[in-house]
Amino acid sequence: MKTLSTAELPLFIPRSNTSTAVNKTGSWRFFRPKYDEKTAPCSAACPVGQDIPRIEMLASWGLLKSAWHKIVLENPFPSVCGRVCFHPCERKCNRANLDEPIAIHNLERFLGDTAISKRRKPDLSLKPTNGKKIAIAGSGPAGLAAAYFLRRLGYSCDVYESRSEPGGLLRWGIPIYRLPRQVLKNEIKRIEDLGVTIQCKTPVTKDVLEKIYSQYDALFIGCGYGRPISMQIDGGNLAHDGLKFLRNVQQDNTSTLTGTAAIVGGGNTAIDVARSLARLGATPLVVYRRRIQDMPAFTPEIEMAIKEGVTIKELVSPIRIQKNRTDDSDAPRYILTLQKMKVSKKEISGRARVIPDGEKTEVIHVRRIFSAIGAEAQAIWQMSTTKQRRSVVLSHCQIIDHKIPLLFGGDLTAPVKSVTDAIASGKQAAIALDTYFESSLDAVEERIAACQVGSGPALSMQTYLDNGHQIKNARVVTYDEINIDYFQTEPRVIPTLLDAKKRIRSFAEIETTLANNAAKQEARRCFNCGSCNACDYCRLYCPEMAVIVEKAERRINMDYCKGCGVCATECPRNAMAMEEEIK
Amino acid sequence: MKKVLEGSHAVSEAARLARVQVIAAYPITPQTHIVEALSEYCSNGSLNARFINVESEHSAMAAVIGASSGGVRAFTASSSHGLAYMHELLHWASGARLPVVMAEVNRALGPGWNIWMDQTDSLAQRDTGWIQLYCEDGQDVLDTTLLAFRLAEAVNLPVMVVLDAFYLSHTFEPVDVPDQEQVDRFLPPLSPRIRLNTDDPCAINQLVAPSAYMEMRFNIQVAMEEALQRFSQFESEFEATFGRNHGPVEAIQCEDADIILVTTGTVTSTCRQVIAELRSRGEKVGLLKIKMFRPFPTALIGRHLGHSQKVAVVDRNFSFGAGGIFAQEIRAALCNQMPHPLIYSYVVGLGGRDITPDTLKEIYDVTKSKTTPDQESTWIGLNPEIIETWFN
Repeated sequence: MKTLSTAELPLFIPRSNTSTAVNKTGSWRFFRPKYDEKTAPCSAACPVGQDIPRIEMLASWGLLKSAWHKIVLENPFPSVCGRVCFHPCERKCNRANLDEPIAIHNLERFLGDTAISKRRKPDLSLKPTNGKKIAIAGSGPAGLAAAYFLRRLGYSCDVYESRSEPGGLLRWGIPIYRLPRQVLKNEIKRIEDLGVTIQCKTPVTKDVLEKIYSQYDALFIGCGYGRPISMQIDGGNLAHDGLKFLRNVQQDNTSTLTGTAAIVGGGNTAIDVARSLARLGATPLVVYRRRIQDMPAFTPEIEMAIKEGVTIKELVSPIRIQKNRTDDSDAPRYILTLQKMKVSKKEISGRARVIPDGEKTEVIHVRRIFSAIGAEAQAIWQMSTTKQRRSVVLSHCQIIDHKIPLLFGGDLTAPVKSVTDAIASGKQAAIALDTYFESSLDAVEERIAACQVGSGPALSMQTYLDNGHQIKNARVVTYDEINIDYFQTEPRVIPTLLDAKKRIRSFAEIETTLANNAAKQEARRCFNCGSCNACDYCRLYCPEMAVIVEKAERRINMDYCKGCGVCATECPRNAMAMEEEIK
Repeated sequence: MKKVLEGSHAVSEAARLARVQVIAAYPITPQTHIVEALSEYCSNGSLNARFINVESEHSAMAAVIGASSGGVRAFTASSSHGLAYMHELLHWASGARLPVVMAEVNRALGPGWNIWMDQTDSLAQRDTGWIQLYCEDGQDVLDTTLLAFRLAEAVNLPVMVVLDAFYLSHTFEPVDVPDQEQVDRFLPPLSPRIRLNTDDPCAINQLVAPSAYMEMRFNIQVAMEEALQRFSQFESEFEATFGRNHGPVEAIQCEDADIILVTTGTVTSTCRQVIAELRSRGEKVGLLKIKMFRPFPTALIGRHLGHSQKVAVVDRNFSFGAGGIFAQEIRAALCNQMPHPLIYSYVVGLGGRDITPDTLKEIYDVTKSKTTPDQESTWIGLNPEIIETWFN
């Protein structure tokens, strides 16, 4: 054995200065990754198909204007919908499986209100005017949405409104403690700023209709259900119309009422009437023929009403209203006889059927009675739908070949009678009409299907403007597909609410808009299901450094991607996919 | 300056004085106090190092391998299952010739779940290419850790500083903590021979064909042999600076002894007393403490034990199906030396069972009474009530 020299022993280890670039590991690949943005369940559930994951992503980055702009591409009413939409999006939010759904409606309201306070104008790049004129009957959410989308598609639009101010149900039906008037005005103003004219105090009479037929290229009918259905019972004419009451309160909410006020019905109007009455000092009592859980009114509204002192009497149906003959001016004015009801074993389309419970009746004495059992379209609109003409019935609207194309939208045709479904019907009608003019009535259904968000029925105006090019896979991301290791539980933001005792003293808005930081924090909770938010985990984990980022765009260098799938597996939000390599 | 220090903190102090730059570790009893103190030093600024939290010992070793490949002084600590979990990467650290230093606190492996002293964990890593140094007391721990960095960086091999669970890791003793200035003189900043550099990119430790692999391994063996020489050289330098010297082995009254006990770790201190007592009774007994297990100081051991009649090896470890591990190594070291003493192997104190002066005296008495060892290893202190029922 040789003895060691005092000099350092040379290290004998493998080392190479040759680049490994020569080893094109891409040749090993059997599967290839791709960026594959998918539809988020919230977007698929949103009647107007807003790209919610992208909106929350932009909001989380503090790009509030871009986030807002993303909304107004699909919905002209963020501040309104952030307040009054019943947010079906949140019920589908994947985050609910981890902790609580994202407060999507609060964020929408925040973005809408921020845009209003900063007087933001959307950059909508209207299509050049095409010379066609569209008449729109009714300035409710359906009519205004139709005008908004048609205007963007190059049509000139005139809206006819019978009342003194535009907004329809938004202006005259929804109480201001839910939707302050200034918010509505601001959002309508933006639609007018696009060049849409709104002629108030101009009901569409037969004469006006004839004029429209001769001067316009199409008519959109979003007149809503303006005619109350009266109660067909003995003394039914003694009940006040609930919608009319709400309209009156919109004009003047300063009167003071006392005594019990009965409200007949179980829809949102009944609840709005009851809550308005509570604010005026009356003791509201909702009488409903089915059970509370069967009420068509949105559950949060019912819950708020109960907190505000509204009593709901279920399983009773009015059969008689009589005047109370008394000289005492403070005594109840009416005697309301109620038939007690019971649940039948038979169900009608999933809803419990109720039948009279024998001869059992109940008599109550009330100071006022309101009817809120529904409404229907004005008589003038009832003809066109019934006549046999060439027509296409879509999920939210109907297009009929008449003297000029007629489009029925809003409550007349929407499957759910909600503000957002009304807006959806306006959008659908705009796309349908544009397709009608560009090709034919027969092309409408296919074109509509091409613009669906997820599996529909919500439509994307952006997709329509991109000639049906879908930027996202229609597949809806499920919770199982979220890589939950990347998310920690965090509580949902809670907006400040006016205390129930305080809120029945005035018509002040109940809920506050989120503060900037709270909104950004809430937006950060969003999984951004199916949408790349540049988290970069695909690049960080790629063992071959094959994920290339150039100008904020990611692509995969297929020379070196060996198809291991680490990127797609790590992707926290399922914005990637693996597909078999066809060689 | 003398301080009363816990054994674990003697390691931490030494790592701080060595100005380690990267620490990556995962907690495990009885090692945790070592890295706990280091994480405090990092957070209070008394040590300018990056402390990397990891999810496992495998990752801890991977992280220090990465750091060391980047040319910085890296340290970790582990024990028992944690060390076992590092096994694959222990080979990597030595094969890649990285001067990593690790404190390893000897603890039994489960099952049965046991957190107490047992050397089988570190001895099971015998063939991973790590230098292994076994410590006797707190001062030994501090000094050996400092020396470990010097040695590792000189021969480009990783060093394991081994200390007994609880008997040493959790015992407070007066320890002379040297000045930073002195340590800086003894242990200059690392000038790495391996340093990955993005300005000069290269690949290291890739595929090696049969035509070169054996030479790579032989290179490590030569470095191990060099380590033995360098150890003595650095100990001399250490002594010149700090006035202390521990030696790769320490022979106590071996020159004229007929029977020599061989110990490692803290048992040595107990045995020092027993030897003194036996000597006072006229017994010709000696003690050889082995500190350096890898590289194994064969020649030194032969020199100290060769002339005696009998050698009794105290093993706090066991290789199933064979015997006490130190006994095997000593037997192998002496077998070609003629004549050589008889080797008596004793297995004691597994899983934290105490080794008392009486245990050691029993070992001495058995060794003295038997003319030849009657079995591969003799287990001392087994509870007869338990084991007698096994045999008819």
